[in-house]
Amino acid sequence: MSASMQASAAEPILRLRGISKNFGAVSALTDIDLDVRPGEVVALVGDNGAGKSTLVKILAGVFQPSAGTIEYLGQQVILSGPGKALELGIATVFQDLALCENLDVVANLFLGHELSPWQLDEVGMELRAWSLLRELAARIPSVRQPIASLSGGQRQTVAIARSLLLQPKIIMLDEPTAALGVAQTAEVLNLIERVRDRGLGVIIISHNMEDVRAVADRIIVLRLGRNNGVFTAETTHQELVTAITGAAENSVTRRQKSRSDQAISREAGL
Amino acid sequence: MTNPDPISAASLDRADSRVRNDESFAGALRGFVDRIRSGDLGMLPVILGLVIISIVFTALNPVFLAPNNLVNLLFDCATVGVISLGIVCVLMLGEIDLSVGSMSGLASAIIGVLWVNTGIPLPLAIIAALATGALVGLVYAVFYTRLGMPSFVATLAGLLALLGMQLYLLGSTGSINLPFQSDLVRFGQIMIMPAWLSYLLAILPGALLLARGWHTSKRRVEAGLAPLAMRLVIAKAVTLTLALGIAAWYLHLGRGIPWMFALFVLIAVVLNYGLTRTKWGRSMFAVGGNREAARRAGINVNRIYVSAFVICSTLAAAGGILGASRLASSSQQAGTGDVNLNAIAAAVIGGTSLFGGRGSAWSAVLGIIVIQAISNGLTLLNLSSSLRYMITGAVLAIAVIVDSLARRSRVTHGRA
Ligand SMILES: Nc1ncnc2c1ncn2[C@@H]1O[C@H](COP(=O)(O)OP(=O)(O)OP(=O)(O)O)[C@@H](O)[C@H]1O
Ligand SMILES: [Mg+2]
Repeated sequence: MSASMQASAAEPILRLRGISKNFGAVSALTDIDLDVRPGEVVALVGDNGAGKSTLVKILAGVFQPSAGTIEYLGQQVILSGPGKALELGIATVFQDLALCENLDVVANLFLGHELSPWQLDEVGMELRAWSLLRELAARIPSVRQPIASLSGGQRQTVAIARSLLLQPKIIMLDEPTAALGVAQTAEVLNLIERVRDRGLGVIIISHNMEDVRAVADRIIVLRLGRNNGVFTAETTHQELVTAITGAAENSVTRRQKSRSDQAISREAGL
Repeated sequence: MTNPDPISAASLDRADSRVRNDESFAGALRGFVDRIRSGDLGMLPVILGLVIISIVFTALNPVFLAPNNLVNLLFDCATVGVISLGIVCVLMLGEIDLSVGSMSGLASAIIGVLWVNTGIPLPLAIIAALATGALVGLVYAVFYTRLGMPSFVATLAGLLALLGMQLYLLGSTGSINLPFQSDLVRFGQIMIMPAWLSYLLAILPGALLLARGWHTSKRRVEAGLAPLAMRLVIAKAVTLTLALGIAAWYLHLGRGIPWMFALFVLIAVVLNYGLTRTKWGRSMFAVGGNREAARRAGINVNRIYVSAFVICSTLAAAGGILGASRLASSSQQAGTGDVNLNAIAAAVIGGTSLFGGRGSAWSAVLGIIVIQAISNGLTLLNLSSSLRYMITGAVLAIAVIVDSLARRSRVTHGRA
């Protein structure tokens, strides 16, 4: 792949070293290293509770790391709050979306970054909202509806559209396609490729290995809050599952085995 | 850009065939009924309430609807109404300020002591009172944002502390009379707008509505969006102008419209602009609706809390000053009794939700008119204050029940 070849040559936009995060007695993350280069899609995979969202929230400025350093464009930075991260050009689609249900789609898209703060430019914002949503092939009937009246997938589309608003340098998507329809998922994957080609860095978290393999240049596995290997799209499913679950013999393989055993015995019974 | 749909000739926002874009009056009416049924009640309960109250009290005592009685009612509305505008700000965030009554009493005491007893010029005394209000609000905000103290507790403590300060300032005399010939007292008791100005101001809102509607519609068409339904805008403007015009005419059959009420409405207009047309207002709604989401969008949540508490206490102080001018005195009774509850009840009755994230400045204006109408009507019937309290309490309970039920209905109808 030419994109990844070019990517590996460039300086990383984001370089994490030794990031740890404790919640009281729980160490959600221990000693995490991560690089993201321009024009590169990095997938973060791992089991439930592996610490993926925690890592993303640290990069979004929502949590402060307990230890470790973050370098952004070669400079060491402290992401003291979500505002700081957004200002630097780190945009995030959170797993829980973080939308305000009482506000309409336009207000949510522009939240905190409204056009002309002293006399809101509603027409300008609505126009921009429509063009962002079109880019994602969104199926949203009206941008003047409160978020509360949208479906799960529509909300997810709004959250993704919002991350594109500020022309970020790096986009983090925490399970962006979990609730999306077939067409919208394809559109999000297209979008990821488009922003990658524009030279942005992308971090995507997903439990869908097909999607991950389709777009990721590198796949980083987290297990129980630690780095557990770096893979590429060529890695076999088996290997990835092993890295994620931590054993060659795991519930996924057992299930596959029992199913194939059943199939064999059924054939034998015929 | 990939577009699975061929770009339709329809404007961007009219492309989805599932949306009913009915711009006739019948369509607007249907949309309105839909909204009400889903629990998005808006101003409806308060307007209905006002109509019922007027009918009942007029039937019991026709003096109720006499022009001069209504003029008095407007004078009374202004004092607690200004306090209620501040309450709208804190309720919007899902917080509460229980000390607005005491704050208004303290402000009135500050005016009396500084201006009458010490001889400091009135404008300086007013600034001192307002600054005290701002400071108190800042203290609440710091307690809330830095120490995590619930506003309920902080302001309950404030209620006592501020009342103590008021009593301390007024000392043994207990009451200071303000000079009757002073501008402050005349403002609170007799100053009335000239008739021509009332009529001019009655026309203004409708005219502005039309002008803005026309301007927005033009910009939308230029931008490729569907235009506004101008017929509805015109209907709204005409209705508003007629209602205000008739009200102005009727009030001028009596003394006319008090300047103090005009000041109250002016503050409401400014607050309404702030809440609906500025980034600050958007942030207020966002923090009230989902605090964490607002934080993640980069909003400085603490600053929003500070602004709300400061505005609330400052307006409470302003209401106290107006109250002093209305009563021509600073007394130990100022700000006690039902002032607190009336200010909060007015905002809630007008449709500002106790749960945060919903509300408007107009809710305080309409709400306080309802509250004062009840109080005024009961006074005309010579009912004792015990009954007045019970009835006002019942009205507040009904308002909160309506708020809770409407909220539940909004949740099930996906309107949050
Ligand atoms: N605010 C918090 N307070 C305490 N513990 C937390 C908090 N947030 C996360 N954790 C813990 O940190 C660990 C990692 O959680 P995280 O949300 O990062 O997992 P995840 O990899 O995103 O999982 P999933 O695939 O289910 O989204 C979990 O054990 C979780 O209980
Ligand atoms: Mg997660």
